[in-house]
Amino acid sequence: MNALDVVGPQLIILIAAGLILLTEGIFGRYRRILPYIALAGLVASAAWTTSWVIRDDYQTIFDGTFSLDQYAVFFYYVFAGVTALVVLASVDWVDRVGRRQAEYYALVLTATAGLMFLAGARDLITIFIALELSSIPQYILAGWQKDRRSSEAGLKYLLLGAISSAVLLYGMALIYGFTGTTILPEIGRVIAAEGEENRALLIVAVTMLIAGFGFKMAVVPFQMWVPDVYQGAPTPVTAFLSVGSKAAAFAVVIRVFFEGLGADFISSDWANIFAVLAAVTMTVGNVMAIVQSDIKRMLGYSSVAQAGTFLIGLAAVSATGDGFTLGASAVLLFVAAYAFTNLGAFVAVIAISQRIGSDQIADYSGMWKRAPLLAAALAFCLISLTGIPPTAGFWAKLYIFNAGIHADLAWLVIIAVLNTVVSGYYYLGVVRQMFLGDTQERPFRVSPTIGVSLAVTTAGVLVFGILPAPLIDAAQEAVQIFAGQ
Amino acid sequence: MPLFLAEMLEVGVPTIDEWVVWAILAAPVVSWLLIIAYLRKLPAIAGYATILAVGVSTVLSFVVLFNVIDATGGPVVFSYEWFTAGSVVVNFGARVDGLTAVMLVVVSSVSFLVQIFSQGYMAGDKGYGRYYAHMSLFTASMLGLVLADNLLMLFVFWELVGLSSYLLIGFWFHKPSAAAAAKKAFIVTRIGDLGLLAALLLIWARGGTFQIDEIHQLAITGALSSTVITWFALGVFAGAAGKSAQFPLHVWLPDAMEGPTPVSALIHAATMVAAGVYLVGRFFPVFEASADAQTVVSWVGAITAVVAATIAIVQTDLKRVLAYSTISQLGYMMLALGLLGYVAAIFHLFTHAFFKALLFLGSGSVNHSTNTFDMRQMGGLYKLMPITFATFLIGSLSLAGIFPLAGFWSKDEILHDAWGHDRVLWAIALGVAFMTALYMFRAIFLTFFGEYKGGQPVDHHDEESHFHGDPAHPHESGWVMTIPLIILAVPAIGAGVFNMAGITDGLARLLTGALPVPDLHEVSFDWWVAGSSTVVAVSGIAIAWAIYYRRVVESSALRDAFYPLAVVFERKYFLDNLYEDFIARTVLQRWWNRLLELFDTYVVDGAVNGSATVTREVSARLRVVQNGQVQAYGLLLVAGVIIIVAAVFTANPL
Repeated sequence: MNALDVVGPQLIILIAAGLILLTEGIFGRYRRILPYIALAGLVASAAWTTSWVIRDDYQTIFDGTFSLDQYAVFFYYVFAGVTALVVLASVDWVDRVGRRQAEYYALVLTATAGLMFLAGARDLITIFIALELSSIPQYILAGWQKDRRSSEAGLKYLLLGAISSAVLLYGMALIYGFTGTTILPEIGRVIAAEGEENRALLIVAVTMLIAGFGFKMAVVPFQMWVPDVYQGAPTPVTAFLSVGSKAAAFAVVIRVFFEGLGADFISSDWANIFAVLAAVTMTVGNVMAIVQSDIKRMLGYSSVAQAGTFLIGLAAVSATGDGFTLGASAVLLFVAAYAFTNLGAFVAVIAISQRIGSDQIADYSGMWKRAPLLAAALAFCLISLTGIPPTAGFWAKLYIFNAGIHADLAWLVIIAVLNTVVSGYYYLGVVRQMFLGDTQERPFRVSPTIGVSLAVTTAGVLVFGILPAPLIDAAQEAVQIFAGQ
Repeated sequence: MPLFLAEMLEVGVPTIDEWVVWAILAAPVVSWLLIIAYLRKLPAIAGYATILAVGVSTVLSFVVLFNVIDATGGPVVFSYEWFTAGSVVVNFGARVDGLTAVMLVVVSSVSFLVQIFSQGYMAGDKGYGRYYAHMSLFTASMLGLVLADNLLMLFVFWELVGLSSYLLIGFWFHKPSAAAAAKKAFIVTRIGDLGLLAALLLIWARGGTFQIDEIHQLAITGALSSTVITWFALGVFAGAAGKSAQFPLHVWLPDAMEGPTPVSALIHAATMVAAGVYLVGRFFPVFEASADAQTVVSWVGAITAVVAATIAIVQTDLKRVLAYSTISQLGYMMLALGLLGYVAAIFHLFTHAFFKALLFLGSGSVNHSTNTFDMRQMGGLYKLMPITFATFLIGSLSLAGIFPLAGFWSKDEILHDAWGHDRVLWAIALGVAFMTALYMFRAIFLTFFGEYKGGQPVDHHDEESHFHGDPAHPHESGWVMTIPLIILAVPAIGAGVFNMAGITDGLARLLTGALPVPDLHEVSFDWWVAGSSTVVAVSGIAIAWAIYYRRVVESSALRDAFYPLAVVFERKYFLDNLYEDFIARTVLQRWWNRLLELFDTYVVDGAVNGSATVTREVSARLRVVQNGQVQAYGLLLVAGVIIIVAAVFTANPL
């Protein structure tokens, strides 16, 4: 029973997914309630998570392969929140598509359960299975629309994902071959004890892990799928990919590298790899984003650039704060801030593209006059992505830059700051188009569900922009499990 | 020659109720929220709400000022923990001392008068409500910036000031020139902000605190190495140079004149541009600890003052003359700060805020009846607009530094400090004083004397124009506009009384009390310095009179005589060409786009490209797989792994 209690937050989401399928099968006429079942499942999951926080009795189950700790809990909340907002933002679109509504929500929930398993997994095999559990629904979702672009996106995502999984598995096999275990803390012990003479092997393994996870994190040079899949997939799915999937990848990477590969002689190597990849990823992402005329492609490249910023936190492994790892806490803070901000931007894009039937930035001209609140919300999220106060994005960037400075990565922070300026060009370009451009088109209103999800995300960006303390505290507390490493 | 007498001040703690301080900041925030909430239903309340809110701030700012005077400028801090980042506790707090109090009074009182003036100037504008919303936000941000007790909070408000000024410069966004000016201001000032951000990260990593008084202590006790202090100071100065339009980041300010004129008076004369000077003043002990930083600050200030003054002489647009004059005077203040003339610089900031706001509002009043800022279309207005003329004349005399107006005393103190420290910089400052008198009185003679040239005819087809007067028959503006002019003329004449060299030293005591080591440098009145500056100012006015009133020589003949110089000045030292034509258009757009095209063609298209599919047939899905893109991805992935492994082994061999 205890094990069931520990994975309760995931189970209840999977149960909700089953209920949704049943409901459509049995009461086909009441389709309207499907998203609300999903929301109820997510709320129940968050409540269950909260019960664990209150119990304050974190534990490891399944022979040490899965751990419910404050780190996992942080991500549980992020994923539940992200999925709830994506579900809300999907309602109109799913209604319009019409077919297989239950399957859509069920797949989103299944993917979420997979992401949550990833956050708690402490064992290479569990990680791999959780990764596939979250990925396979996403492949299907990317190809949901029966048009050329969406089908292409789904297929491409599936094939490239399979290649990456293969590389990842190869890397894991090398680690297992060397250490004889798949459990992260034990891998850490074996490597610390006798890894130094086998550094060559470990570096090859580490690189393969980076390549495999790099696909999900959308890190250069493993990011090639991003623009096409982001553009081709239905926008709510893109939002889910860009926030949920990416956050989970960083969650698992931090755990694998800090717990399993934290020994000094190897961590300095992978920290350097991450530092260089961070610089390259930020620069390539931003440079490519500048020339995009399609907002989803632009946000795709921007998410690549943001992934580069995340990597600074990983590169700053050597920076320690007061009993916690500064770099890791910076990544967590960034995950939460980025989740709110990017989701907000995507929800606004969903609302706009439903009305104007276009994703071209040029068609956003004069949006201020057509839907003032919508335009203001999107502008605010873009300001947060740029990293200008008073937004959550500002604190996240500042904190991650600070981690970089503490790890003596001043060169990387300089590159990051310059990239921030470059990113301002295209983010604020959209703002400019919306507010300073002209239009003769008629005003419109957004649907209530989209309005709610937009209000929540924007309020999150603003509230954490003014009062970042709770988020910073949570991020610092979550990474305390790595303090003893 | 003994110039300074040092005296340790007895500094107390002001007895101010805490709510007074926070209410100063809260009042414009509340009016901003009110306007936003009721903008659509009741746009008419916007003006009154803002005037009332800023009025409250002004009254309370004076309350604060009087309390701080009682304590000889000593600091009091109301601070709360905002959050903890790493081991650094970040506060949200207000620091009130002599410097803060002076800035609060300047910002709120000038803002108050500008809001009243705007009631007349912006009447009937379609964006009336939006205008006051932005103005409230700006005033709130500026007051927050001045009150902040730590660098991080200051930075947040600093960025908010930048954002609201972006909105105000681009207020008439249907004009492409206004939209472009807003963008330019935002980009150029952000270049400076990068320096401030770097300084912030540096002090976070090396000093472990954001609190202003703790940073002061770090600099005074030498707890940080002089290299760190110097870099920190230079980062702060870079931020200040962006906001205060110092060379070579000054190019945004003249273009920012595209905004409504009251905006120029508030933001680009009295408050935001002064924020840079305030920032350097706020961290004055840090600059005191770094001789290198002092040299940079004083010389950048000197270059700015000269460059801007020379450009101002050849402008034909009244508002741009004032814009370049502002840049030049800000350079003057920086020059003084670099020479450790802390009191002199803030004193000049104080007097300048009043007479420059007066001049800007005066130019707005002229524009309101002639529909133009082009001085070539004006002339003879002194009979038609007597109040505007009289107040404009007062502002100009004060700016030119004529005894006994406010500008004389503050400018004299800067010259005095320069004379004591560096004779080269003194000579430069004196030259700038001459040019200041020359360009201001050139503007006066062109605008108010001679024949009226008809103004700019109203274009009745331009629906966006908010002009309602008759340019053919200019008349004095209404009382909402003239009363602020008259009120501003009072400090433009008399604001010098607070710190007359050798006579009064109230302001000096107030400002010095804000420093961690409050020793007062009394400035004695020096007849030689005062006499020389008066001589150059009067001769500047006389030459302007000879050329532009008596027309002893034709100005076009002068231009021909100094042709190469005139071209350099008229083209603004070719800086806009360098930035916009070369860097922005050629390097960034053409070369960079070419590079991106190559990248796109050979890297992106070559590997994975969504638009590469050809038919809509079902088989198209398979074709994607077959056209090599997926294989290319696989290859790239393997290549990536190999490159990373090889790089690690090269960089860190086994």
